[in-house]
Amino acid sequence: MIWAMNAVQVLLLILLAPLVRGVIARLKARIQNRRGASVWRPYSDLFKLFRKEDLVPASASFVFRLAPIVLFATTLVVAAFVPLLYGSALVGVTGDFVLLVYLLALGRFFLMLGAIDGGSSFGGMGASREALVSTLAEAPFLLALMSVAIGAHTGTIAGIVQWTVGQNFFQFSAVHALAFVALALVAIAETGRIPVDNPTTHLELTMIHEAMVLEYSGPSLALIEWASAIKLTVVMALLIALFVPWGMATSLTAAALAIAALVLLLKMAALVLVLALMESSVAKLRMYLVPDFLGVASALAILAVVFTALMR
Amino acid sequence: MGLFESAAARALASSGVFLFMTVLLIAAARRISTCIGLYSLQSLVITAQIAAVSRMHHSAQGFAIAAMVLTVKVAAIPYALYRIVEELKAPRDVSSSTSPSQSVFIAAGLILLSFFAVRPYVGVLGGDQAMLAAAVALVLTGGFLMVSRKKALMQVVGLLVLDNGIFLAALATTFGMPLVIEIGIVFDLLMGVFLMGLFVFRIRDTFDHLDVSKLRRLRG
Amino acid sequence: MTQVAFSLFLVATLSVPVVTLISRRWTKARALPAVLLMASLATGIAVAGAGFWDGQRFTVEVSQVASFSFALSVDRLSAFFLLLICSVSLPVILYSSSYIPRHYSGARRDWLWVLLPLFLMSMVLVVTASTAFAFLFGWELMTLFSAGLIVIDGDSEERRHNIFIYLLMMHAGAAAVIGAFLLFLPHAGNFAEMRASATLMTPALRTAVFLLAFVGFGTKAGIVPLHLWLPRAHPIAPSPVSALMSGIMLKTAIYGLVRFAFDFLGGGPSWWGYLALLAGGVSGLLGVLYAISEHDLKRLLAYHSVENIGIIYLGLGAALVFMANHAAVWAALALTAALLHCLNHAIFKSLLFLGAGAISDATHTLDLEELGGLQKRMRLTGAVFLIACCSIVGLPLFNGFVSEWLTFRSFLAGSELTDLSAAIVLPLAAGVLALIGGLAAACFAKVYGVAFLGRPRSHEAESANEVSWPMQAGMLLLAVACVAIGIFPGMVLGSLGALTEELIPGAALPQAAALLSAVLPWIALFVLVLVAGMAAFKRAKKLTATWACGLPGLDERMQYTSIAFSKPLRKVFSQVYKADRTLNVIPADQPYFPASISYRSVRTTSFERLLYRPGVDAIVAAAYRLRRLQTGNIQIYLLYIFAALIALLMFMRWV
Repeated sequence: MIWAMNAVQVLLLILLAPLVRGVIARLKARIQNRRGASVWRPYSDLFKLFRKEDLVPASASFVFRLAPIVLFATTLVVAAFVPLLYGSALVGVTGDFVLLVYLLALGRFFLMLGAIDGGSSFGGMGASREALVSTLAEAPFLLALMSVAIGAHTGTIAGIVQWTVGQNFFQFSAVHALAFVALALVAIAETGRIPVDNPTTHLELTMIHEAMVLEYSGPSLALIEWASAIKLTVVMALLIALFVPWGMATSLTAAALAIAALVLLLKMAALVLVLALMESSVAKLRMYLVPDFLGVASALAILAVVFTALMR
Repeated sequence: MGLFESAAARALASSGVFLFMTVLLIAAARRISTCIGLYSLQSLVITAQIAAVSRMHHSAQGFAIAAMVLTVKVAAIPYALYRIVEELKAPRDVSSSTSPSQSVFIAAGLILLSFFAVRPYVGVLGGDQAMLAAAVALVLTGGFLMVSRKKALMQVVGLLVLDNGIFLAALATTFGMPLVIEIGIVFDLLMGVFLMGLFVFRIRDTFDHLDVSKLRRLRG
Repeated sequence: MTQVAFSLFLVATLSVPVVTLISRRWTKARALPAVLLMASLATGIAVAGAGFWDGQRFTVEVSQVASFSFALSVDRLSAFFLLLICSVSLPVILYSSSYIPRHYSGARRDWLWVLLPLFLMSMVLVVTASTAFAFLFGWELMTLFSAGLIVIDGDSEERRHNIFIYLLMMHAGAAAVIGAFLLFLPHAGNFAEMRASATLMTPALRTAVFLLAFVGFGTKAGIVPLHLWLPRAHPIAPSPVSALMSGIMLKTAIYGLVRFAFDFLGGGPSWWGYLALLAGGVSGLLGVLYAISEHDLKRLLAYHSVENIGIIYLGLGAALVFMANHAAVWAALALTAALLHCLNHAIFKSLLFLGAGAISDATHTLDLEELGGLQKRMRLTGAVFLIACCSIVGLPLFNGFVSEWLTFRSFLAGSELTDLSAAIVLPLAAGVLALIGGLAAACFAKVYGVAFLGRPRSHEAESANEVSWPMQAGMLLLAVACVAIGIFPGMVLGSLGALTEELIPGAALPQAAALLSAVLPWIALFVLVLVAGMAAFKRAKKLTATWACGLPGLDERMQYTSIAFSKPLRKVFSQVYKADRTLNVIPADQPYFPASISYRSVRTTSFERLLYRPGVDAIVAAAYRLRRLQTGNIQIYLLYIFAALIALLMFMRWV
């Protein structure tokens, strides 16, 4: 029964990811006084791309077509780590945060290689910039997750969620506040949103992720776009699960699950709104200011880890 | 009422967290208006702490102090500073000698330092460890802001943060000072801010800039 | 039985040089030394396997020469390192059986086949020695034989300078190691005696032993700031020799440190662990930062060895801190992580160096800026190089991830210690490890991408061909090991756990390690099924040209170069790289079209500038001042002799 629940959670994450992207885009459009595309647009984009053929540069090797597949597979496995409705996940018992961070790194590594394999300047440029951002984001990501894990005395994400649910909402812990801000900053860098990267730009001055995928088309591009949407949804679900998991079902009854689904919807909606507002009001950072941005996240994460020992 | 009490007690216990966040965000801020807003937020947290403490000790004096702090530090002084920033029409960035991430690292170091400095005294002074450490951290951060920010207005903000820290230290250890002294301090602060406001315009009119690092005529 | 096999292994390896010398005239027997060496290494693997997996111990007394005893004994720790040596050397020798005849001929080839087994033998001697004399004998021989192997590759002013620095630093390290052994006098005979006498030592003496061992073995391992010889010596050796030096020789230093710190001294105060953590963290960071700015492939790989030794030291430091805090279970985990990383690094670093050798075999250049597009022309080499890159970055499903995960897990456990400084430092060390991992990923994306992907940047790269089958087979064996340990780490972890239980009293490998071995195969299965499924799904594909913004003719110079790729990271970490840049512009009549522009950027690593150069200058200045004693006047020399005599007489009178 629990297995079915966990599998359902993964499927929900995968299938709803493009919708999340669509809603964010629509909200941003409305905030910017435009009508915006339909929220179902990403789905029709994916259908269209899957029906087309792959255009592959003649000089590319097998890595070019392998990269989107590896990226999608690793992002899918990462989706299996995060509890959504019930305090357990498909890879819940022994999956844990280091494996999560490094699986994301595996996908990103292959994406960088695929970008370079395209043989154009854009690919190298995107890969080089992505290398900078991801290098500096990995340490705060791990440290913030570690500070929360230390507090919960367990290394698994499902375990952290179960511990947090048992905590009192009003007892703000300095560790959690700092870790939340640090993770939020890292999440912006990892998913490539403003102010670190503009997901809708095509100017070479401002591209990071877009530059890496410039050469891709057809099903490969569909896999990359879908993986990027899943990553965004998973990171948002991770933030919700680790810091505000109250409302999750504690028993596998239909009523509890329905309430949990509703609460999750509300929390996701709130996060989506905050993200859309922030993306519409903050300017994208110049690339050499991004290390500064991630430096702030690192300082917060380091402070969070030190506080776990100080506040015992 | 029981729920109110317990929520107040819990919030009081966790309020140190908010103060640490404001310390770090003020260090990372890049615009003067952001710093003023964060100062206002800090004062709001301190007001809430005073109110909670007064509730626990059932002292009307405390509520009067809380009301005073609310009007002066959360509303009046930030409003005055915002007006000054508007009138100056100068570039709104905080000219800092350290980059935002370096400032945040330094602020984090100052927070850790205040924790270690306060550790031996927690039992003796009877205050909460987090609140005492937050007080010392505010004092140190105010000093850091005054030293590293080059705009004259940021010196004012740094001084205000420092004063917040001293205020919080008094609150944490003796649960507030007598009403008369509190009123005196707050009015001193108000006068100080208005005088600084005047001086800022004079500096700008005389020297045509507001960079304190360039004010070096007072040399031997 | 195993004792006989071990003796057979020793004799067989030692006979290879003899066979080489005898058979050098017969062209038909060219492959004989290689085959013989591989057979003896296979025996060695069997012997070591028996020692490691079954826990058998055996001793071989080789000779008694007066008061120096020379004995070899294999306990679990030695068996592990012996297994490391033999199992990594076997593919390397298979590779060399084809590489050496292609690149060396005549006397040089014979010298290589004479010195290689002797080099391997010296390393075996170091890890199986059970007396101080045998250990030191092997230690010095390692340096000599490896220097000899480097010399075979050619001669030039710069090479001689680099070999000189290598020998100098190795001897300095050996002096420290000898000092550490001497401090055990008068019981410095065999290891059992030393272990017993260590319990009677005063804390000051133990500290002295530890520090001497740390410095001595650290010089050999290559931790910062004692690493200067690594990027000078490893790149100039022949590729298989670089693989052996970087993969195996550095690990003998780790073996020495583990023997001293864990076996003889049995752990010590926390600051030993903090020292190792500091050295590990600094080496890891600086090693990978210097590697990022390199575009000579072998020097880049040499700097990465510094980085990985740093990661091993992080694990060792954590183990020492845990032992000082009486948390034996977590100490076992940290030590297991460090030892597993030794094995993993030996495998993937050797594979990387063999791949570099294959590249140089095919294109005659190791400069990344001249390579490109090699994957399409050298399919197997590219695929195994990709596996090695993924392993060294520490990506899941490859072996590097397992040891890094175990290290992270032990850092996480550090937060549960009651000692405040340990509870803060250990989790923060996880942040350092994460940063190192991120930088390594950036660096190897650059290496693999610039060398193997994209379009060829030079004519040599365009006309590269796949290497011969023994070279491919050697590399493939190592790559299979990488993936096997990455997916099924349980093979090695169980016995490593038994090993650490022997070294650390009261330890047992915690459940965390077992959980990882249970979960990784499933995740690997999940990912591989997904990838295979999607790849098998026949998608239509059409070959086109790369998008060039609608302009014709995108040429290979428009791709990112290795230096360009690393520029953002170099700019962010510019404090580390202070370069001397000179720009000369010779103007012509027109303002924007000068006659010539030349740009020169010279990097000296900051350690050379700030630490070594002032030190060397001071010593040389002092030496010049001392020169004045050598006046050349015979009467002054007689005066020195008489003055010494008078001083001795006075000294005897007053003592």
